[in-house]
Amino acid sequence: MMSSKQNEQPVPEKPAATMHGEQLSTTEMEHRMKLLREDSELQKLHKQFVIGGVLTESEFWATRKSLLDDDAQRTSKQQAGFKSAMLADVRPSTDGRTNKVTFSLTPEIIHQIFAEKPAVHWAFLNFVPSKMTEKDFWTKYCRAEYLHRTKNSVVAAAEAAEDEELAVFLKNDDILANEARRKIRRVDPTLDMEADLGDDYIHLPDHGILRDGSKETVDAENDIARRTLSQDLNRHAAVVLEGRALDVELGDTRTVAEALARSKQAESSAETSDEKTNQERLKRVSRMTEIEDLQAPHSLPYAPLCIKDPREYFDSQQANALKALGDTDARIKPIDCSLSTEEAYIYLMEQISEVKVRGLNNPVVQPEAALKVLNGLNQYLSSTKYHLGKNPQESVLDRLPNRTKDELMHHWTSIQELLRHFWSSYPITTTYLYNKVLRLKDAMTQIYHKLQETKESVQSDFRHQVSRLVQPMLQALDAAFAHYDTEQQKQYNKGVSKPNGFVQ
Amino acid sequence: MKFQIEDVTVYFPYDYIYPEQYEYMVELKRALDARGHCLLEMPTGTGKTVALLSLITSYALARPSPPLKLLYCTRTVHEMEKTLAELRLLHSHLPPTHRSLALGLSSRKNLCVNPYVLSSASRDSVDSACRRLTASWVRAAAAEQPPGAVPTCSFFESYDRAASSGPDAVLLPPGVYTLGDLRALGREKGWCPYFLARQMIRYANVVVYSYQYLLDPKVAGIISREMQRECVVVFDEAHNIDNVCIEALSVSVRRQTLDGATRNLHRMAQEIDRFKATDASRLRAEYNRLVEGLAQRGNLALTDAWLSNPALPDDILKEAVPGNIRRAEHFLSVLRRLVQYLKGRLQTENVETERPVDFVASVSSQAGIDQKMLRFCYDRLHSLMLTLEITDTDEFLHIQTICDFATLVGTYMQGFSIIIEPFDERMPHIPDPVLQLSCHDASLAIKPVFDRFQSVIITSGTLSPIDLYPRLLNFNPVISRSFTMSLTRDCICPMVLTRGSDQLPVSTKFDMRSDPGVVRNYGRLLLEMVAAVPDGIVCFFVSYSYMDGIVNSWNEMGILQDVMQHKLVFIETQDVVETTLALDNYRRACDCGRGAVFFSVARGKVAEGIDFDRHYGRLVIMFGVPFQYTLSRILIARLEYLRNTFQIKEGDFLTFDALRQAAQCVGRVIRSKADYGMMIFADKRYSRHDKRSKLPGWILSHLHDAHLNLSTDMALHIAREFLRRMAQPYDKAGTGGRKTLLSQEDLEKMGEDPMNMF
Repeated sequence: MMSSKQNEQPVPEKPAATMHGEQLSTTEMEHRMKLLREDSELQKLHKQFVIGGVLTESEFWATRKSLLDDDAQRTSKQQAGFKSAMLADVRPSTDGRTNKVTFSLTPEIIHQIFAEKPAVHWAFLNFVPSKMTEKDFWTKYCRAEYLHRTKNSVVAAAEAAEDEELAVFLKNDDILANEARRKIRRVDPTLDMEADLGDDYIHLPDHGILRDGSKETVDAENDIARRTLSQDLNRHAAVVLEGRALDVELGDTRTVAEALARSKQAESSAETSDEKTNQERLKRVSRMTEIEDLQAPHSLPYAPLCIKDPREYFDSQQANALKALGDTDARIKPIDCSLSTEEAYIYLMEQISEVKVRGLNNPVVQPEAALKVLNGLNQYLSSTKYHLGKNPQESVLDRLPNRTKDELMHHWTSIQELLRHFWSSYPITTTYLYNKVLRLKDAMTQIYHKLQETKESVQSDFRHQVSRLVQPMLQALDAAFAHYDTEQQKQYNKGVSKPNGFVQ
Repeated sequence: MKFQIEDVTVYFPYDYIYPEQYEYMVELKRALDARGHCLLEMPTGTGKTVALLSLITSYALARPSPPLKLLYCTRTVHEMEKTLAELRLLHSHLPPTHRSLALGLSSRKNLCVNPYVLSSASRDSVDSACRRLTASWVRAAAAEQPPGAVPTCSFFESYDRAASSGPDAVLLPPGVYTLGDLRALGREKGWCPYFLARQMIRYANVVVYSYQYLLDPKVAGIISREMQRECVVVFDEAHNIDNVCIEALSVSVRRQTLDGATRNLHRMAQEIDRFKATDASRLRAEYNRLVEGLAQRGNLALTDAWLSNPALPDDILKEAVPGNIRRAEHFLSVLRRLVQYLKGRLQTENVETERPVDFVASVSSQAGIDQKMLRFCYDRLHSLMLTLEITDTDEFLHIQTICDFATLVGTYMQGFSIIIEPFDERMPHIPDPVLQLSCHDASLAIKPVFDRFQSVIITSGTLSPIDLYPRLLNFNPVISRSFTMSLTRDCICPMVLTRGSDQLPVSTKFDMRSDPGVVRNYGRLLLEMVAAVPDGIVCFFVSYSYMDGIVNSWNEMGILQDVMQHKLVFIETQDVVETTLALDNYRRACDCGRGAVFFSVARGKVAEGIDFDRHYGRLVIMFGVPFQYTLSRILIARLEYLRNTFQIKEGDFLTFDALRQAAQCVGRVIRSKADYGMMIFADKRYSRHDKRSKLPGWILSHLHDAHLNLSTDMALHIAREFLRRMAQPYDKAGTGGRKTLLSQEDLEKMGEDPMNMF
C-alpha cells in the first residue's frame, strides 16, 4: 500500500545539515543519509521537521544516538542468509504416468548444494567443462541423490563401482571429515566430547558392558550410503549458521563455484593463531561457569537487523501472531466469556481478598491511575467490539480509508517526535532552549489543527472511531500546552529578571 | 565474600550466596569434621560445584596439618574443564598467601604435545606411540647408539633430565592448571605435560580427574596408588555411579577378540623364538624371578607401566606364580587352550547364563586350566610383555582382554555372571556371538575407595530416592540429605503431557511407539513449541534407534521442514566428533539469536554432561520414559541379583533408573535462580503416581496438579503464560522473610543467632 510506495521514493534531498553550519565529517553525513534511506519513516520525519525548519539537524539526531552508535559498528550491508529450510533437499516429482522422475534445480539450490557438499563442489570444479557438460553433471548428481533417497544401497554400490564420477557423490565426504578435524580443535572445551572419549579407559575395546540396550552397535562395513539424515541435518544447520560468504550474483554456476572456492581459501588462510583461539576458548569457558545473578550481564555479539519499513514489518508480524493465536485462542476465548456473572464475581472477590491479605507484590503504578486506565480501556474495548463484531484480526485502523489511516499514523509519529523534544527541553536554562520550545510549540499547534481538520473531514460512519483515536494524541498535546503555559506564567511572575523578553 | 562456618573461614568467589549453598556447606563441613562419607542431593542450578570447592578448599586452609587433599572426580573431560574454571575463579578470591596447586589429569591423548605421537588417531595408538618412544629399553638402546638412530621423545627426555635433580626442580608454581594450560606449559618448557601431571598429582592440593582414575582398577592401579588417606574424594554428578562401578569390572569377548588374540599369541611365540636364539638369558631371568614369587617386577620405570590388574587391589594374590605357567611357552599354550575353549563356547545357538563357579569348573575340566592359573593370567602376561619388550600395546589389546577376563573370572565368585548370546536380541538375523562377564554388584569397585579415604562425598542433582544409594554401594554415610530449592520466582515449569492435540494418548510404550498417530502428535507438539519458545529447545528421546526412526518419519510427514522454518535443527549422532561440532554450532545459533533445536538421547553422551542453561535451553522435552532395554539378558541378570541381595524389586529399580535419567535430562536447563526453563514430560505414563513420585523433590514441588494431564494445546497455553511471566522484571534478592540471596551481612547476622537460621 502506501508504505511500499514510500520505498520507491528517491533519496531525500539531503544536505540540509550544512545549512545549519555544523561540522560533520563526510562519513558521518553519509552514514546519516544511509540511515534515512533505509528507514522511510525516519526519512519522512526528517523531511518534515528538519527541512521544515522545526528542528535542527543535530537536535533531530540527538535523540537517536543509539541508532548512530549501533550502526557505526556496522560497515557492510546486510546480507540475506540461507533459508533455514533445507533447500538442497531437492524433492523429486513424478508425473504419475511414466517412470520419469524430475528434479528441479535453481541457482539458489545449486549454491546451497555447493556450500553443504564440498565433494560436489570439488567435482564440479574439476569435471565440468573438461570432462562433461554441466547438464550431464547435474543429471548424474540427481541420479546419485535418487539412489540415496530410495535407500537402494545395492544398486548404488553397483553403479558406483562402474562409474567413478557417480561414486564421488555417494561416498563419504573426505573434505568434510578434514574440516571437522580442523574445527574440533577450536571447540569450547566444556563440550568437547572427543577429549572425553580419549580419556575413557572403562570402555576399552571389549571392556564395560556391551549389550545392555543403551548402546547400539552399528555396522560400518560399506562406506556407501552411510550418509544419514542426521548428518545431513547437522551439516545443513552448520552451513546456514556460517552464512553466505558470497557477494556474486547467483546465476552462472561456474562463477558461483569459483567464488565459493576463493572464499574458502581466504577463510582457511585467515585461520587465527593458536594463542588467539585459546584466549577465545578461555573466555567462553569462564562465561559458562559464572553464576549470572551475581555478575554483570554479558552482551553477546549479535547481527543487527535492518528493516526497511518497520511499521509494515511489525504490522505483518502482529497479523501473523494473531493468525497463529486464532487456532488456539479462538477456541479458548468463548469458554472464558461464558463464565456466568456469578462465577466471575466469585473469582474476582477471591482475587481481591487475596490481594488484601498479601498486598500487591510490586506496586509499580498508582492504583487510582491504573483503575482509570482500565476503565477507559474497558469502555473502548466494548465500544469497538460493538462496532467491529468479533473478528480479532481486524483492528479499528484497518476499517478506515487508507488516506485517513496514513494521515493519522503520520501525525502520531510526528507528535511523538515533537513531544520527545518538547519535554526534554525542560527546564529551560538557555535562550537556545527557549527558542526551541517556541518552535516546537508552533509545530504542535499546527498539528493540533490538522488533527481537528482530519476529524471533521472523515465520513460520519467513521467519525466516532477517528475521534477516539485522535483523543489520546490531543490529550498529550494539551498536556504539553498546559505545561508550557504554567511555565510561562511562572516566568512572568518572577519578573523581568530573564535576559530575553516575552513575546506574548 | 568471606564468612565463618563454625570455626572455618570460608572464601566464596561471589558477593552473594544462595541459602541452600550455605546449608550445603554446613552439612559438608560436618561430614568432614566427622571424617565420614556423605550423600548430598542438591538441585541443579544452585551452584553445587562452587559450594563444594570453596568449602573444601577453605577447610583445608583452616586445618593445615595433616594436609588435606581434594580428589575431585567428574564424569567427563568437559565437566573437568568446567570444574577447573570454577576453581580458577575461586582461586582469584583466595588470600595470596593461601595459593595452592590444582590441576586436571587426563590421558596421553589429551595431554601429549609431541607432534609425531599426536598424529595417531585413537587413544590406544597414542598410548603405544608414546611407549615406542619412551619405554625404558628404547631409551637404553638410544643411549647406546649414536644420537638420532633410535627415535625418542624430546619432551620426555628434557622433562626427565629436569626431574632427575629432584622433584622440586619441576614443581609447578601454585595455580590452577587445565589440560590446555598443561599443554601450553609443556610446549613452552619443552617438558612432557603428561608425565609432569602424573608427577604433580602427588604434590597438588586439588586433583580433578575422571571417575575411572579411582574406580577402574586397571587405571587406578597406576594413577591413584600413592594417594594418602588424608583425601577428600568428591564424586560429582554421581547419579550414575553404580553403572560406572559395574562397567569397570565387566569384560566381554567377541569373535573378533578371539581372532585377534590368536594373532597376538602367534606373534608372541615368534618373539619368544627370536629371543631364544639371540638372548636366551632374558627369558631365563624372567623364569627365575617368577620362581622367587615376584609376579610384578618391583619398581617399574614410570613409562613402562601399562594398564594395571583388572581386579581390585585387595583381591590380588600376593604369592608366587603357579609353576605350570612360569615358562613362557607353557603360558602361551595355556592361553591358546583358553582361547580355543572360548571359541567353542561362542558357537552356541542358545543364550546361556552361568555363574563364575560353574564356568571355572568347566574351564578346568575341558581345557585343564585351574582357577589359580586363571587368576594369574593378567600378571603373567604383563611380565611376559615386558620381557619381550613389546611396545605396540595397541596391537595386543585382544590378548589383554582375554587375560583381564580370565583374571576377573578366576577372582570373583560372587556378584558376577557370564552370559553368552549368539546374536543381538534386536537383530536376530545377524550372528554376533558375545560372551559377557558382567558385574552386578556396584559396591565391589567402590569399596576400596570408601576404605582408603577419609571422606567420600557423593553428590548430584538427582539422587532420589536417597536411601537407595547406600544400599547399592554398600556404605554408611554419616550425612545423607536432600536439599530443596528456594526460588525467588517460579522459574521452572515442569509439565506432564499425556495427550496430543487430537486428545489421543501419547507414549513410547512398546506397542504404541511406532503408531503414526503418536509420532505425529509428538511432531505437532514440537512444532507448536518451536513457534512459541525463544532461543534453544532440547529434545530427549529414549534411544538412538527411536530417534532415528521418528526423525525420519517427521521428515517424510513434512513436520521437520516446518520446524526448520522456526529454528535450526541439530542432532546427536553416535560419532562424537560430529556431535561435538553440532553442539558447538547449536550454542552459536542460540548466541546469535537464530534459535535452534537439539535432538538428543537419554543415557547418551550429551545427556550425561552438557548443560543447556540460560538461552541454550528454555525448554526441554522428554519424549517418552527412558526405560532400559528390558529384554537385555544382562539387565535381567542384574535385576535378579538386586532382588536376591538387596530385596529391591525389579519394577522399582527399572522405574527408579528411568526416572533418574529423565530427571537428569530435564535438570540441565537451569543453572541459577536468574535462569528459567520449562520441562515437558511427554508420555502418559508420567501421570501415574508410582512413576512420577520417583522424580527428585525439587522438580515435584513445582509440578502443579493442574499440569499433570495436559494436551498439546493446553501445554502451549501454559508455555506462553510462563514465558510472559518470566519476561517481567523481578526482585532478585527475594522479598520478606523468604530470602533467596544472602549477602555477607545476612550471614553474619545468622551467625550471631543460629536458632533463627532458616
